[in-house]
Amino acid sequence: MNEHINYICERIEVLNPVHSKKLKKNLAFFDDGYDEMADAFFKKYVQFLQSKHKTLDYAIDCYLQMLADITCETLEFMRTGKYSSSTFVEVNSRVYADPQIMEYYMHGLLMSQFLFRHHYQMFNFFTGKLPQYANTTKSYLEVGAGHGFYLSKALEILDEKTKFTVVDISETSLELAGHFVNDARVEYNLRDVFDFNNEEKYDFITLGEVLEHVEDPKGLLLKLNDLLSDNGVLFFTTPTNAPAIDHIYLFNNVEEIRNIVKSAGFQIAAEMSFLTEDVSPEKAAKHKIAILYAAFLTKIT
Amino acid sequence: MDKGEILAKVNAIFIDVLDDDGLVLTYETTARDVEDWDSLNHIQLVVAIEKQFNMRFTSREIQSWSNVGEMVNSISAKLN
Repeated sequence: MNEHINYICERIEVLNPVHSKKLKKNLAFFDDGYDEMADAFFKKYVQFLQSKHKTLDYAIDCYLQMLADITCETLEFMRTGKYSSSTFVEVNSRVYADPQIMEYYMHGLLMSQFLFRHHYQMFNFFTGKLPQYANTTKSYLEVGAGHGFYLSKALEILDEKTKFTVVDISETSLELAGHFVNDARVEYNLRDVFDFNNEEKYDFITLGEVLEHVEDPKGLLLKLNDLLSDNGVLFFTTPTNAPAIDHIYLFNNVEEIRNIVKSAGFQIAAEMSFLTEDVSPEKAAKHKIAILYAAFLTKIT
Repeated sequence: MDKGEILAKVNAIFIDVLDDDGLVLTYETTARDVEDWDSLNHIQLVVAIEKQFNMRFTSREIQSWSNVGEMVNSISAKLN
């Protein structure tokens, strides 16, 4: 195990022994490719933190704060069966427009990329399939780039002449992604994707964990259908039953996600879903355990 | 209800949620001492305790617990 992961485990064992147990199980699950990828990532990430006069301890605190938020939201979800917010206006003022919250949230999510089993599995699904679209992708659009980790891999995998565009509603998110990715090929747009219309069509669009953040996920998918070239591919991920401080649209199960995708004019080329806890499907359904779903979509012709 | 009675009820909830008949909690018990007291079960435990005692905890209270005794103190403060 690499030195950074070791350090993170030791700190979390002290600061949050309840979560430490899950973390140890997650790390025991990871495959051979994990160490190499995690090592490369944390070297880059620690350098990035240092450039912002921060340390890995800061990132660990962000991660634990994000987990504390999720615990509170999960409790509310267990009590009511609903997410605590249901409108964009609510979460915009509560989260996106608050740079302090956005910063710990983005760092927390970035850390989770290598500490949550399902995030790692999902990322492998993306990086495993993306090369097969490299020859046909001349333009790449990412909507809601978050911490920029998927974008950084797309920049590595796709042709160097590919045009890269990002649209995100959060200035904090764009700044973090821009610093982390550090590649002049990317054009960043601080804009709501519903207002984004530059008359261009994109060959590949990535929409990582965004649908649950909007009031009208079908409307967003229809918008992306319009932005996608005729033979283009949309990669998206979204969870079921995943309370968080900025989730407003609740998918109760995977079938609901598939249905909305089809109603927006897409067909599924490949899909995967991952349980976020190490439990049986029966227990997952009983306790409404989150499932992270991802698919590569093409337009219905 | 005194703290001893609260501890006994909390112990019964832990036995039920964690499915461990032999579990004996003390005020000093922490998550390190109970193998199945993980993040998923922690949520189930809090929900079951809230239901049993007909109360709700704040996020600050939940995050402040470092052992069973502190959990019992929170319950006791709300009951009395």
